[in-house]
Amino acid sequence: MRTLTKTWLAALAAAILLSTPTMSAEAGDLKDASEIVNRTNTAQYYAANDGRALVRMKIVDSKGRSQRRQFAVLRRDKADGGDQNYLVVFDQPADVRGTAFLVKKHANKDDDRWLYMPGLDLVKRIAASDERTSFVGTHFFYEDISGRQPEEDKHQLLETTDTEYVVKSTPKSSSGVEFAHYTLYVNKKTFLPSKIDYVNAQGKVYRRIETVKVDTVKGHPTITRLKVSDLDSGGYTLSDVSNVEYDMGIPDDIFVEGSLRNPPQKWLR
Amino acid sequence: MKRKILDFPLQHARLVFIGLAVLTIGLGSAIPWIQVDTDPETMLSEDDPARVFHNETKEEFALHDLIVVGVVNEVEPEGVFNPASLARIHQLNQQLKTIDGVIAHDVLGPSTMDNIEQAGPGTIRFEWLMERPPKTPEEALAIKEAALRLPMLRGTVVSEDGESVALYVPIESKDQSHRVSEEIRTIIDGFDASADEFYITGLPVAEDTFGVEMFKQMAISAPLAALVILLLMWWFFRSFALVLSPMIVAMTTVTITMGALIASGFTVHIMSSMIPIFLMPIAVVDSVHLLSEFVDIYPKHGDRKAAIKEVVGHLFAPMLYTSLTSAAGFLSLMMTPIPPVRVFGAFVALGIGLAFVLTIFFVPAYIAALPEKRLAALLTSKRDADDGGFLGRMVESIGAKSLRYSKPILVLTTAILAVSAYGITQININDNPVRWFKESHEIRVADKVLNRELAGTYTAFLVMKQDTDAEREIVAAGDDALEGASDAVRSQWDGLKADAHAASEEGATNVSDALIEATSDLSFDSTGEESEQWQAVQTALEEAQTGSKTFQNPEHLAYIERLQQEAEALPLVGKTSSIADVVKTVYRELISGEEKDYRIPDSTEGVAQTLLQFQSSHRPNDLWHLVSPDYRESAVWVQLKSGDNQDMMAVKTDLDMFLAANPPPEGLRAEWAGLTYLNTVWQDEMVGGMLESLMGAFVIVFFMMMILFRSPIYGVLAMIPLTITIVFTYGLIGLVGKDYDMPVAVLSSLTLGLSVDFAIHFLERARSIQAETGDWRETMALMFQEPGRAITRNAIVIAIGFLPLLGAPLVPYNTVGFLMAAIMAVSSVVTVILLPSIMMQIQNWLSPKGEKAATGANNAPAPLATNKEQTI
Repeated sequence: MRTLTKTWLAALAAAILLSTPTMSAEAGDLKDASEIVNRTNTAQYYAANDGRALVRMKIVDSKGRSQRRQFAVLRRDKADGGDQNYLVVFDQPADVRGTAFLVKKHANKDDDRWLYMPGLDLVKRIAASDERTSFVGTHFFYEDISGRQPEEDKHQLLETTDTEYVVKSTPKSSSGVEFAHYTLYVNKKTFLPSKIDYVNAQGKVYRRIETVKVDTVKGHPTITRLKVSDLDSGGYTLSDVSNVEYDMGIPDDIFVEGSLRNPPQKWLR
Repeated sequence: MKRKILDFPLQHARLVFIGLAVLTIGLGSAIPWIQVDTDPETMLSEDDPARVFHNETKEEFALHDLIVVGVVNEVEPEGVFNPASLARIHQLNQQLKTIDGVIAHDVLGPSTMDNIEQAGPGTIRFEWLMERPPKTPEEALAIKEAALRLPMLRGTVVSEDGESVALYVPIESKDQSHRVSEEIRTIIDGFDASADEFYITGLPVAEDTFGVEMFKQMAISAPLAALVILLLMWWFFRSFALVLSPMIVAMTTVTITMGALIASGFTVHIMSSMIPIFLMPIAVVDSVHLLSEFVDIYPKHGDRKAAIKEVVGHLFAPMLYTSLTSAAGFLSLMMTPIPPVRVFGAFVALGIGLAFVLTIFFVPAYIAALPEKRLAALLTSKRDADDGGFLGRMVESIGAKSLRYSKPILVLTTAILAVSAYGITQININDNPVRWFKESHEIRVADKVLNRELAGTYTAFLVMKQDTDAEREIVAAGDDALEGASDAVRSQWDGLKADAHAASEEGATNVSDALIEATSDLSFDSTGEESEQWQAVQTALEEAQTGSKTFQNPEHLAYIERLQQEAEALPLVGKTSSIADVVKTVYRELISGEEKDYRIPDSTEGVAQTLLQFQSSHRPNDLWHLVSPDYRESAVWVQLKSGDNQDMMAVKTDLDMFLAANPPPEGLRAEWAGLTYLNTVWQDEMVGGMLESLMGAFVIVFFMMMILFRSPIYGVLAMIPLTITIVFTYGLIGLVGKDYDMPVAVLSSLTLGLSVDFAIHFLERARSIQAETGDWRETMALMFQEPGRAITRNAIVIAIGFLPLLGAPLVPYNTVGFLMAAIMAVSSVVTVILLPSIMMQIQNWLSPKGEKAATGANNAPAPLATNKEQTI
């Protein structure tokens, strides 16, 4: 009899525990999809005021053949969610070593982009076009690296689970985008996306970005491993971020054309 | 033995019927499981080196078979470059991506391709060439100008004259191309009426559509031929019930043979789809001989069983011989190296055997089982049994004349042979699946228009590769860099190598990349001398890796550039594309956008960085259709305006000569791939194989003839009609300029089998009649009676019966129809006119005075004839 009561109590307790996750929306949850997306944008692209990282990307095609890209990134924000500067200097593969990008990202107009190619001893401006071109042959788009402006899409909160917000974002203009909408899965605590599914006009998820690993550096949750998959072809790119440093005091005056030819080693190492 | 065989069907007719029904229904029930394979690639065995390499190339460079959709506007002054036409093209371009079985991300068209251009001084821009349709005529022209500046698009997506556009639709597998092309057609049909003309073509569409049409033809042409044959026989034999029997023999033979083929698990290839068409005449021929004689004899006997016995007695031996020789002709195809041809040969031979058995068993049983009144017509027929009607009188008079003019006939034959021999030297060996359609077919029309407008819809690939093991060389460079290092460092290095190998086995990296990363980490994490040491190893590895990228090397790219210039100078080559074109185009736009900068950068690094920019476009993966990601293999696309095998061969020969005279740098090796090229490989094997098998069969049939007639002279005589028929038909093909293609090649075996038929019947009968009469002149007179009529009837039935094939939209069917008629006409004429003339000339050799010949003839298997009585 006693054991039976015990079993019954245990089952009841288990039932209550299991049912908890379905009771989703908690008191502190955000209700406004746009606010969620804005905070995600800030968490992912504007951590601290400046930062440095070493990025290794591995591009794997559908046949398992791989290529590498390795570069250092310096960043300095003007304002959270606003303008910011990037300097990207390539180290691998060796034949593109020293290739550099300077990006002056603007929240309200097209970014300014410069490119330096040491092999041709050439600095070139890259004119604005849509931002969904490949980032140096990886499965990432330029926009995935620099961040998509939240104002470009209409956001709708689909669901709030006990760990995530699920937001459907639909572009206001279909110009320059290949997706019909994308679904953003945002971690409620860190506001980092755990997954982004891109859906085409036929309603099929054809592209996915997944956060594989998050580390907290100087109090900032930071995605240190990110995977983007082309679900049509089966290829993917894995991005590993290391040597992350925040609030180094990187000065604004290194984000100039001159730094393309002579990268500021002091901040890169 | 023979007597037992002859009696069996008469005594056990019901057993024969049931047996045949069981066999037909049993094997025929396998037919719904038919598996069609119209891929000419399967003409090569799976392990054929050319086919293996072709598929490796497709895999390596992610190449798919392409459907080409061309848009031409002959009315607008700027062709399709006006807002309305481009709007349709844009819509089509977008919708193509949604078709099931289409590789969406590889669809080539103005809306899915990138434009790279200068956007003001010192500025470069990457953007979609046509993200949305233009609103004004000026915008439309800007798109044209931009496209014409891009060598990868010029002549391919936009015609050289800037008036037409083509879209290239890559498909997952060839066997879907007909369906996909139908879906494309549906999209196009949905457009408003306009001056835009849409054309769909490409080798895969041609091949797959051929398969679809082929089955329509199997359902139309073959039965139509059967119907005509039936009607002709009815006209000859006056009894519908009677002539039904050869039809039943033919139909059941075809059904059982095809059923057996499908049940054995073979796919029905273009070749095997022709089995019914080939078996039909062969199956009918024996029964027509049988009926022809029966109709002549029966009215005199009045007793049908006796008549049948007599007829089958006469014909058993010649029918057996003809079946054996025909089967030998087809079995000889087993000697060819082409799997579908071997299957075809084997099953036609099987069908021939079956047709013989059915003729011997079924036809007599059928006649025996017929109600009496059905045969009454034969007895009361107005036709005079003595002279066999109009046909009989004609044969008789021709026979008489041929004997009178035997010398001129021999001279004429020699002259015809000489002309034919000349014709054979003119034979043009060539094939092209697109030409399997008649000129009016929409695929042929599209092919013609698009190859006029564009650089060529036929593609071959010249693959250049470096054979050395790059990974091993890179690791060796690391070993060298550590020479003289401490044991501890060296063992650490060994550990790294083991890890790198393990990582590469897991996939997603390779040994050199893993080692470079590991040494980079070590030099970063360590200090002092150790850090320097790892730094040195990393540098050595990197240098070796950069050096291994063959097709980033400006010198190698320059070689490809020269090769392309050579190729493009050939009139048949519309255009070539390679990684060198990509490098030069991006470099031009990076530097100035002007023509003078359309060149290859001076350093490997310059090339690598130029390519890195190309990869920052919307379609970075387009690069991998031209070069492998390790830059050690590259494909030069050669676009041809013609898919004719001989044109492809001409291009290959020219470029092979260039490669031999100008060897590629550093042990680079060049090899051909692509469907257009592959077609030439099997054609080569086919023509060689067919010729060999024809020769083999010829010799075998010759020996069979000598053995069966037990006489070398009769053997030679039997070979005369078939030799003349083959020489004549192939001479004719050469003279009229018809290409010697796959269907023609296969018909040679049929020629052999069918044209020896009449000779066997003729000689066998002549010899047995002569054995009785002892006089050749009298024998010949008798030969122009019933035996001559049988041969003539047969020839007419088959020749006319196959004329409906001339109406089919598929050229191979026309070819079969025409050649079948030619074979029948020539071999029957030669047999009836020439053989008697020759035999009269050499009669002393045929029966050197009296008894020896007579006994020889008596020993022959069928001396039962009492022809003398018949004619009285």
